Amino acid sequence: MSAAAEDRSTNRDWAAIAQKVGTPFASVLLAILIGSLIMWVSGYDPIAAYAALFQGSFGTPKAFGDTLLKSTPLILAGLGLAYGFRANLFNIGAEGQLFMGGLAAGWLGLVLAGQPWYVALPLLLLAAMLAGAAWAFIPAILKARIGAHEVITTMMFTYIARYFVSYLVIGPLKSPGQIPQTGLLPPESQLPRIQSLFSDATLQAMPFLKMGRAHMGILVAIVAAVIVWWVLKYTTLGYENRAVGYNPWAAETGGISVQWTTVKALCISGSLAGLAGAVEVMGVHHRLFDQFSSGFGFTGIAVALLAKNHPIAVIPAALLFGALSAGAGTMQLMADVPQKIILIVQALVIFFVAAEGIVTYFVKQRQKEATSNVG
Amino acid sequence: MLADIITPDLFASALRMATPLALAAIGGTICERSGVVNIALEGIMLCGAFAGVAVTLAVGNAWLGVLAAVLAGVVIAAIHAFTSINLRSDQVVSGTAINILALGLTGFLMEILYGHPGTTEAVTTIKPIFRFASERGGGGFVAEVWHWVNTILFSHTPIVYMAIIIAIAMQWAMYNTRWGLHLRALGEHPRAVDTVGVSVLKGRWIAVLISGALAGLAGANLTLEQVGSFTENMTNGRGFIALAANIFGRWTPVGSYGASLLFGFADALQIKLQIFRGEINIPPQFFLMLPYILTVIVLAGVVGRSVGPAAVGKPYEKG
Amino acid sequence: MPLLELREITKVFPGVLANDRVSMRLERGEIVALLGENGAGKSTLMNVVYGLLTADGGEVLVDDAPVKIKSPRHAIDLGIGMVHQHFMLVEPLTVTENIVLGREPGRLGVIDFATARERVREISERYGLRVDPDAKIIDLSVGMQQRVEILKALYQGARVLILDEPTAVLTPQEVTELFTVVRSLVDEGLSAVFITHKLEEVVAIADRILVMRDGKVVGETTPAATDEIGLARMMVGRDVVLRIEKGASKRGATVLEVEDIHVDDDRGLEAVKGISFSVSGGEILAIAGVDGNGQRELVESIVGLRRPKGGRIELKGNDITHANARASIEAGVSHIPEDRHRRGLVLEFDIAENIILGDHRTPPVARNGIMHPKAITEVARKRIADYDIRTPSERVDAENLSGGNQQKVVVAREIGRNPELLVAAQPTRGLDVGAIEFVHRQIIRERDAGKAVLLVSLELEEVLSLADRILVIYEGRIVKEFAVADADAETLGYYMTGGGGSKIDKDAIPGTPETPATGGDE
Repeated sequence: MSAAAEDRSTNRDWAAIAQKVGTPFASVLLAILIGSLIMWVSGYDPIAAYAALFQGSFGTPKAFGDTLLKSTPLILAGLGLAYGFRANLFNIGAEGQLFMGGLAAGWLGLVLAGQPWYVALPLLLLAAMLAGAAWAFIPAILKARIGAHEVITTMMFTYIARYFVSYLVIGPLKSPGQIPQTGLLPPESQLPRIQSLFSDATLQAMPFLKMGRAHMGILVAIVAAVIVWWVLKYTTLGYENRAVGYNPWAAETGGISVQWTTVKALCISGSLAGLAGAVEVMGVHHRLFDQFSSGFGFTGIAVALLAKNHPIAVIPAALLFGALSAGAGTMQLMADVPQKIILIVQALVIFFVAAEGIVTYFVKQRQKEATSNVG
Repeated sequence: MLADIITPDLFASALRMATPLALAAIGGTICERSGVVNIALEGIMLCGAFAGVAVTLAVGNAWLGVLAAVLAGVVIAAIHAFTSINLRSDQVVSGTAINILALGLTGFLMEILYGHPGTTEAVTTIKPIFRFASERGGGGFVAEVWHWVNTILFSHTPIVYMAIIIAIAMQWAMYNTRWGLHLRALGEHPRAVDTVGVSVLKGRWIAVLISGALAGLAGANLTLEQVGSFTENMTNGRGFIALAANIFGRWTPVGSYGASLLFGFADALQIKLQIFRGEINIPPQFFLMLPYILTVIVLAGVVGRSVGPAAVGKPYEKG
Repeated sequence: MPLLELREITKVFPGVLANDRVSMRLERGEIVALLGENGAGKSTLMNVVYGLLTADGGEVLVDDAPVKIKSPRHAIDLGIGMVHQHFMLVEPLTVTENIVLGREPGRLGVIDFATARERVREISERYGLRVDPDAKIIDLSVGMQQRVEILKALYQGARVLILDEPTAVLTPQEVTELFTVVRSLVDEGLSAVFITHKLEEVVAIADRILVMRDGKVVGETTPAATDEIGLARMMVGRDVVLRIEKGASKRGATVLEVEDIHVDDDRGLEAVKGISFSVSGGEILAIAGVDGNGQRELVESIVGLRRPKGGRIELKGNDITHANARASIEAGVSHIPEDRHRRGLVLEFDIAENIILGDHRTPPVARNGIMHPKAITEVARKRIADYDIRTPSERVDAENLSGGNQQKVVVAREIGRNPELLVAAQPTRGLDVGAIEFVHRQIIRERDAGKAVLLVSLELEEVLSLADRILVIYEGRIVKEFAVADADAETLGYYMTGGGGSKIDKDAIPGTPETPATGGDE
């Protein structure tokens, strides 16, 4: 290919990227605007509300730490959803797998008490992935073998997981005391806080590192995003995942087992959701109790859709929703706006992102008409 | 103990528990027959439940509450109709957005209206229509039979009976009216409907709105006839179970009702069994799981490879 | 006075002038054939007339009055009926329900099914189109379904019948029958527009012929004034070879051996009922038959997409009876599927990604599960060059290619893999003449390279021009074998519809409409 042609193709790539990035931005902007409208109609001051929200999510190093804290499980859950979506699977029940991942970490951490951190941490994360995958396995098999819709089955498994964890923290795994929760994880099984990695002197010199409760799970999440991106782009596993997602019949003709790919996809999706549960337990609460996730699995849907299922784009998308969720408390405190508005904004983002597909859809249809309908 | 579990009110309770599922499932049936997937049933039901309580608390008339619930269902369904029919969004994604929106909206409004999250004040529930006297273990066989019949069939609130009537009426309409024929054709081959000059858009809109009205009514049944108050996220997956009931009922209204009865019975049974948990010694969480496990089993085994309408979930492109 | 007249109809799609000032007239009691290749603009024109598309310019006149046809409903009200190429029938519904759809008799929204059934019976008797009003569409043969489509148009009061490629799915006998029906409808005072790209049909049925090319009418003639060669030249714009030249077959050793296989279809009914044959290297074996006689199941069982429930399939002596698609590819079987959009291509993938599908696990494309972008690009560019795929880059999405180029991608992939056996199922469906010629040449090149080719086709022309040997399939069985020299279209057609024994009487018009469904085996 000549240099000029190379140029043209990179130009086109940039245009495509601009288009890809532009529409999610517009979706978020529109959702925030309508959110303000709702606040204004309800008698609140949207500007004060968003100012408070910003203050609570980016205003101080500690606030930013909270944003990172909330984003961490969102990145992982969003990756899980995105990987599933790429195989045309909607793992709406990521929350259930997240619960099982949290359970695995919370339980194994206690079992492995006394082990050094370099043994405990990888084992806990691995166990959480296995638990999440296992929880997705039955819906996956049902989908692959008899076509039972994963939206219903994974949702049902989410309720089952919640009741199961609730039973365990009230019953067999309960630590002594009034509160239904497990015992505290030994320090070797906890993901350290970011600021704990630096000396006091360094923190003095660089106060932006005082990120409060933000923990090393963010590193796990970012590494996971890069790995998922690499798998989708450069491995046969990822290629087959995408082929099945776009056109299972053609994939089958090309020698790809659609059933097996479906099972793998949903289990990998589940393992990422399980990882999300683990970082929440190991990094934030340091123990298991039945309300340890504030719907990260469901917010992961919005994250994946906003990122258009691109693993790297999942990171900024998760940061956005993490910030909303981190700032919501400050917003309620300072501007008196109920935190629930965040859910409404989240729903609006999904609407707009989904409806945005329409623009490209229209263009495609017109092109198809032009090429195939003539004759 | 078995005699304490298998009682007339177990079956009466099954019928009650089945009602919101059945209404939503019939809504799902009509919606899917027109070619639109509606996983928003969960959220629509939640909005209906909230609107019912809110209006009843405000005006003091539960029937106006029911009306409000139905209207709320229609309005929320209209969003789904617009995004999935006109904008041709992915219908499952649109439904998910509505479910999240419903959680946010009801929670937000609760705090605005009542100043706190959680549960609303109680409303006076709608009372059963009939009040015939009957007694258990009274006198003789006839009295016993009458007690069973009275408890199972005549102890219910109006929407429970409405659900049965709606199931039968919808079944009849689907196979005997123009609307029904067009509906059945829409989900299979929308272009065929379009080429004979019947509007696909209109047909699908009407179907989605009907499903919204029915899911809203299901919500009203939940709050205004059963619980008597609204709690955040109180539908607890019923909309998804209703979808499974619709599949199990093979996309027919009466079938959906029948499948809902099965799930209603499971729910009634687990509640009943919890009373005896001292004797059975199984933690309550396992009973609470029962309806969800049953749903998976039904989808996995009994349904097998049942196929839905051919064009369901596919946006229609004209021309 | 013309019943229907089009004046200078123009229709533009982004980047394509689909109809360029097209004019035509249709008189009462006349059959006009609209002849042209895929993409010539025939269907677009008729979709404008039927209200499915809006013209960007020009005028439509019905009974000399200008009309703006806004919707199919409007077209129907004007007396225009259409029999679509892809039937507009709702499969789970009954014949009656389909026919009355949109115009149901009844009161207050309740359908009067007794009256509906009665009206359907009335019309079907009046025009001699017998059909069971209570049968479900899904249970009817394709010919019967087409009859329901015609009845539907008649029920709606059509005076003009537009038939869009109506013979594409029919057997030669069903075609004859359709012609008889259309002729008798026209005798009753109806008019018909017959859209087709098949020359011999035009000559047989039309009163007048309009030839379209690149969105324009390039000629008007009558069957008496021309012949197939002349029409072909007009249609394509150059001289065409109606039959491709090929040398004698140099048969080698047996490559594929199929022994008494039985295969079920999706509904669990036996579709292939004990078929045996073998294909040698350097030979093209064609399987001729009417669509739906077990070809799909036969092909899918050979390429590993469907498991046979009995029998044995061997490739060069290796048992591949139970091989899945992957094992089948690895054993050396390539497969050009009958539906390139469904089975052949991932439309959202670019050319490079599509052109390595099936080779995506093996070197040089991938090693140990990791893919090598450079190797992929190299393979893609080589195949694009070898198979003359017209594209600016290997990174163009498959959905943005023309039908011919899309099929070239499939052919490049399947032949480029250098298989032992090439299974080609309807490899030229929906392609224009140029692309057909290209695909045919590639298939013959494979044969001449000593490879075994199994061709499955519904097009008798294709079978006769490519095959060395022909098997006729009917209801899941092979009913006849021919050397190509002994076969002609009519004899093949006869066996394809279940006839057996002696040659068909060429002048006979099938007496009973039910012929295709009731014919027996040999």
